Formats: sequence, structure tokens, C-alpha cells
Amino acid sequence: MLPKLKILVVLLVVVLLHVAGFAASFSASLDRDTVTLGENATLSLKFEGVQPADAPNLPAVAGLQFQYVGPSSSFSFINGQTSSSITYNYVVAAQRSGEFVIPGMRVSVNGQQFASTPLTFSVQNVAAPSAAAVNSGSEIAFLKLTLPQKKIYSGQTIIGQVDLYLRDEVQNYGNFQFTSMPAEGFQIGKMAQSANRTTQVGNRRYTVVPISVALTAVKAGALTLGPITASAVVVLPQQNQGNDPFSAFFNRGEQRQVTLTTEELQAQAMSLPSENVPPDFNGIIGNFSLAVSAGPTNLTVGDPVTVRVQITGRGALDSIALPAQNSWSNFKAFPPTAKVETHDQFGLQGTKTFEQIVSPQNSDVRELPPFTFSFFNPDDGKYHTLTQPATPLTVRSAGATVLPTIAGNQNANPESPASPKDILPIKENLGALTHAGVPLVAAPRFLVVQSLPVLAFFAAFIWRKRTDSLANNPRLRRQRAVAQLVREGLNDLHKFAAANQPDEFFATLFRLLQEQLGERLDCPATAITENVIEDHPVLRGAPKATLDGLRELFQLCNQARYAPVRGSAELNSVAAQFEKTVGEVQEVKA
Amino acid sequence: MRLAGRFGLLVLALAFAENLFAADITSDFSAANKLYAEGKFPAAAASYEQILKTGAASPALLFNYGNAEFKSGHLGRAIAAYRHAELLAPRDAEIRANLQFVGNQVQGVTLRESRWQNWLGVLTLNEGAILTAVLFWLTLALFIARQIRPALVPKLRNATWIFLALTVFSASVLALQAANHFSKASAVVVADNVTARSGPFDEAQSAFTARDGAELSVLDRRDDWVQVVDGAGKIAWLPVKQVEILPGA
Repeated sequence: MLPKLKILVVLLVVVLLHVAGFAASFSASLDRDTVTLGENATLSLKFEGVQPADAPNLPAVAGLQFQYVGPSSSFSFINGQTSSSITYNYVVAAQRSGEFVIPGMRVSVNGQQFASTPLTFSVQNVAAPSAAAVNSGSEIAFLKLTLPQKKIYSGQTIIGQVDLYLRDEVQNYGNFQFTSMPAEGFQIGKMAQSANRTTQVGNRRYTVVPISVALTAVKAGALTLGPITASAVVVLPQQNQGNDPFSAFFNRGEQRQVTLTTEELQAQAMSLPSENVPPDFNGIIGNFSLAVSAGPTNLTVGDPVTVRVQITGRGALDSIALPAQNSWSNFKAFPPTAKVETHDQFGLQGTKTFEQIVSPQNSDVRELPPFTFSFFNPDDGKYHTLTQPATPLTVRSAGATVLPTIAGNQNANPESPASPKDILPIKENLGALTHAGVPLVAAPRFLVVQSLPVLAFFAAFIWRKRTDSLANNPRLRRQRAVAQLVREGLNDLHKFAAANQPDEFFATLFRLLQEQLGERLDCPATAITENVIEDHPVLRGAPKATLDGLRELFQLCNQARYAPVRGSAELNSVAAQFEKTVGEVQEVKA
Repeated sequence: MRLAGRFGLLVLALAFAENLFAADITSDFSAANKLYAEGKFPAAAASYEQILKTGAASPALLFNYGNAEFKSGHLGRAIAAYRHAELLAPRDAEIRANLQFVGNQVQGVTLRESRWQNWLGVLTLNEGAILTAVLFWLTLALFIARQIRPALVPKLRNATWIFLALTVFSASVLALQAANHFSKASAVVVADNVTARSGPFDEAQSAFTARDGAELSVLDRRDDWVQVVDGAGKIAWLPVKQVEILPGA
């Protein structure tokens, strides 16, 4: 065992030494250091012997764009030497020509610091094909840039044309994208592609893919557009594969990446004329018409009037703001709402509709003043002011009449009531001063009151249970009846004693004794005699004093028949003795 | 006797002072109404507000204040005033009509009550509480009658179950109303174009712009900021001074 263990330890040490001997490293590289504008290069960040948690962030380089495309990894075992690496790949696209330096990067992985060396990257301009080359038909594809006019006004929007020409042998094309679109003094707007057409250039036919782009001159003076560069992949027929009969059938074409460049175009932007500038002109350029409507026209001071302004025509509709109307000083204007409906792909042709609510501030207002809108028409080089005439208004004082209300028109269809035109008038009477209290559901008094019916119900429930219990227990019922009888009988006894009526006294006493003993012994009262004291098993367990008391009371009742003369004091004494004895009898368990 | 006499004098003095106070308010109220009738809406609004600052409130005062604010172009303040008036007089058709009218003038996104909230709002919370209480008392009266007079049980059986079902239904609706009332705090924007921010500080990124009169649900409050959600479900923070927190619905 010991030699084998030694061998295993040695092998483990060898492997560890191999792994430890492989130093971790980091490097950055480009697949090519020179490209033409429109072509892309690939930047690879390679980590050997170490793996970062995520792809590193690249430094910003003006004029270059980096797009992460994903990692690739490798693992090798050569002559007992293992190595692993992971490479993060980025597409590098240049936005202009020139020399670029991708600075060295510092990366920290598992506490280890790595650094790469700076990389130089050269982007060369691509010259547009010459007219001779184009006319000879030698170009598989080329781009052509045209402007509708070379002299425009500052702020004017024109539609430029970038046409992609594809020679007739091109079977298909794809991945077309503009790689740079330099524009000095132009703002580039929306782009749209129109239907393809074919044309003859030189002795070859070309398919033309027309792309229109909205261009707005943002300054006066010389403007430059281009060279615009683009890249695309075109599919060309493959060369004949000899006598292979299947080559034509399976010929999927040869894909070729092409870089396209246009000429640079110059244009001149003129400043807008400084003469005859309308006072309300706010920079709108184009050709427009105006329509204004307002309503209601019969209203009270403070009532809202909805003014609807429609500006229709061609120009930068998005940038049109509702012109301020200085003559509307007697009106309070609320912020307008705007809606644009365009009819072309560039958003230049259409209608912009404003809705603004204004309200007259006094009853002297007689009209909504004329609405004016000024613009510069580049077609004729003149300023134009469109004016809509004043809208007559009838404005009443707020307190002068009963205001229009939501109050019903009796002829109105209740299903579709007319919208109110204004708020209801103020109230003349102050009414009772009050304050908003706590809601009832949170008021303790209200909640306590709600417990009353619950308590009443439980009281009724308990009463019902006791009543039912009594109805189903004759002995209990008799016990209570006898107790009641004894209470009333005691009062009678005291009355008879006070009135010195011994006959009535002892008759009552005897009856009460019978009732009480009958109830305790559960037998008819009439069956009770003095003998039950000795005979009945229930009374055998009673205290001797109680039994003696009962005997004495029975004997007193018997003696009264023969010696009826008694005094009130003695009768009261007997009554007291009866009360005591009866109390003791009631304690006897039945 | 002397103490009782002094107490009587104090009560009389308080009653007299209260009458004087009410007379002053009535006079101020009429003056504000006059300003309104003359078309001097901002001045009228200021007068109504002055009365409200004394602590006096009535549905008519709040209603007129709302009108004056609306005519002055302050939609948010008008809506807040109508909401307060609605609390005092929930069945006042004029308050409801003006609230609806002004609410329709609010531009941009505002909080709209859902269909079930509208349905719950058919009765006010107090009306719902009274209705439920009446049904509850009647139901228990029937149960008590059944205990006292068992002979009536067959005759009262249907009525008992019907009232019990009505009570349970009414109590359920009341519970929903109460939950809606106590859980929902809302606010109305009282300034125009208020920038709602993603956090409760001035430097936070702008989330959306709230227009004057927009009603928002209040989620939270921190220092001088209130967190709200608008009708489109966007959550953001607004300065407290640019909104008025409304009482429960």
C-alpha cells in the first residue's frame, strides 16, 4: 500500500506543477488593423488560464463603435500540458475615416491584474466609383446621392435621394446598412424606401433601390452631405462547376460583401429674408392653409370657448406651435392640445390640429379677435400671413342671468343628455356651518349602538332556554310554584297573626306544610300527614332539629283544633318557626 | 348660586360670540358672492379662502370657492374644493355636476374610478352604514321575535332568511366601501405642468408631467414629497406643495 500511495502523491504533485506552471495571461488583438470605411473588424480579448465573470467593458473611442458578439473558448491537452482560454469578440465599426488607437485595457480577474497593449486601427476612405467606371458597367453595386435642389433656406426640409444600384446579375442582396452618413449643416430625418425600378447605365441594366431621406438645413451657409457609406451582401451566380449536372440545380449563388460610397455633395443654405417679416412669425417654413372654428359663442364671463385651429400643408408639422395671439388679452387661455395627422412617410405633409380653451374675463368682450398664422414659403421665397376673421361672441356677466345648467331639457332624450356648457352657478345661501365628521363605521358610538340588538337577542335566547327548561321539568316547576306559595303564605300568616285569627292561621300553616313537604317528597300535598316525618325515606337524612321542628308545627296545628285561643305574639312566634323550618326543609335533597 | 350665575353668563356670552361669528361669515360670504357676480373671480376665490381659513365650512362655501377657482383657471384647486364639499353634502347634485364638469376639463392622464368603484359610490359610506344597520336591526328583531314567540317561527321563516341575506349582502358592500374609503388616499395637482420625479428629491429623473387638476392615488409620503400613481399606472414623486391631499373617497 505504501509504495502505491507514494506513486499517487508524486503524480498529483506533477499535475499540480503543470497547472501551476501555466501562467494566466490576457491579450487584445484585431483580426486586421486596416479597413476601408464601411468595413468592420473584429476585436478579440483573449484570457488564457483564467476566466473572468463577464465580458470586459471596452473604453470609448471617438469614431469607433464596439458591438459585443459573444465568447469562444478552447481547451487543449498536449504532451501532458493542459491549457484553456476564453476569447470575447467584438465587432468594430468606424464612423469616419482616420487613425484610431484602442487604448490598453486593465482587467482584474480573481484579484489578479491584467493589462493589454494599445492597438492601432486605420480606417481608410473609400472613393466613390468614377463616372467612367459606373458607365462601363464594371461596378456590381454602387450608391448614388442626389439632392432636389442645391440652394435652400435655413430651416427648410428637403427630400434627398440615396439610390442603391445593383447590376442585373445580382440575384439578391441583404444586410444593407448605412455605415456613415456625414452631414455638415443638415439634420437627417426619417428615411423611406420606395419601390424598386430598373434602369440602363452604360451597357448594363441595373436594379435601383431608391431610399429617400428627409434633410433639414439647420444653419445658413455652405452645407455638405456625404460621402455616405453603406455595406451590403450581394448574391452573385457561382462559376460553372464543370460538367456536374447538379451544379446548376443546387447553385445557391456566391455571397460577396460590398462596400458602397457616394460622392460628397455641396449645397447652400440661405438665411430667411429680413424684410417684410410678419410680427408673429415664429420660424415656420413650408406652405400651409389655416382653418379656425370657435364655440360656443353665447356665453357667460368665465365660460370656456373651445378654439379649434387646423394648419394643413407641407412643412415640419411636428415643430409647429400654436402661435401666441397678442390680441386675446381679454381671454384666459388654457394650455392647448395638439394632434398631427400626416399623409406621407416623412411626416411633412398633413394637418396639425390644435384645440385651445379660452374664457372671456369680462362682459365687455364682443368677439374672439382674428387669428393669425405666419410662415415662410420657400417655393416663392416670401412670408405669408393667414388670417381668420374675428368670431362674434355674446358674453354676459356671471351674475346677471341664470347660468346655463345641467338642468334638464324636458325634450331631451334621457339616454343621451346634452353635455353641460358650464359649471352651475354659485349658491346664494351659506347654509349651516359644519364639518366632515368621522364616518359612521368608524364612530365608536355607532358601533356600540349596533351591539344593542345583539344583546337583546342573547337575552331573548337565554330567556327562551330557561322557559323551555322549566316547561320540561315538572318538579322544578312545582318547586318554584311552592316557593312562591310559601312566600305568599308567610305574608298571610303574619296578617292572620296580627288580626289574631288562629283558625285561619293554623289552617294556612297546615296547608303550607303539606305543599312544601309534598314538593320535597314528590307526592300530592293532600297525602302529607305528620306520619311522613317518620316514614318517608327522604326525610330520614334530614337534620334532627328540622324533623323536630316539623313535628312541633304539625302538633301545633292539631292542638289548635282543640285549644283555639292564642295571642298574636304566639302566632307570630309560630310563623317565625315555620319560616325557619321550611327554609331547612327546602335544603333537604329530594 | 353665584357660581351657577357666572356659568349662565359665560354660556350667554359664548352664544352671543358664536352669533356674531356666524353673522361675520355670512357677511363675508355675501361680499365674496358679489365679487364673483362681478366677474372678479380671483378676488372672489381669495375671499372664500379667507373664510375657510377661519375654520368655518359649509357645502355652499366650498362649492362657491370651487366655482371661483375654476373661473380663475385653477382646475386643481376647484376639484379639491368640490371634493371637500362633497364630503359635507354627498347627495348635492350641484356639487357632483360641477365636479364632473371641471374634471372633464382636466388635460392629460387623471385618475378615473373603476366601474366597481362607481357602483360602490351609489351610496355614500354613511348611507351604506345606516342601511346596513337598519337591516341588521330588523333581522335581529325577527330573531328575537322567534325566541319570544316560537309559534311565529313558521310564519317568520321566509322573512328572516330574506332579511338575513340582505344584511349579509349590505354588510359586504359596506366592507368594500370602507376598505375603499380608508385604504385610498388621493391627491389633486394644484399647479400646472408639475414634473413628477422618480425619487423624492429635486435632482431625480423626470418621470412624467402632471397637469393642473389631475387626480392621483397617494402611495406614500416622505418629508415634503408624496409618492403617487397616475391613471396610467406610472409611479412617481411630487412635491407636497404642488398637490392637495384629498380626504377619503
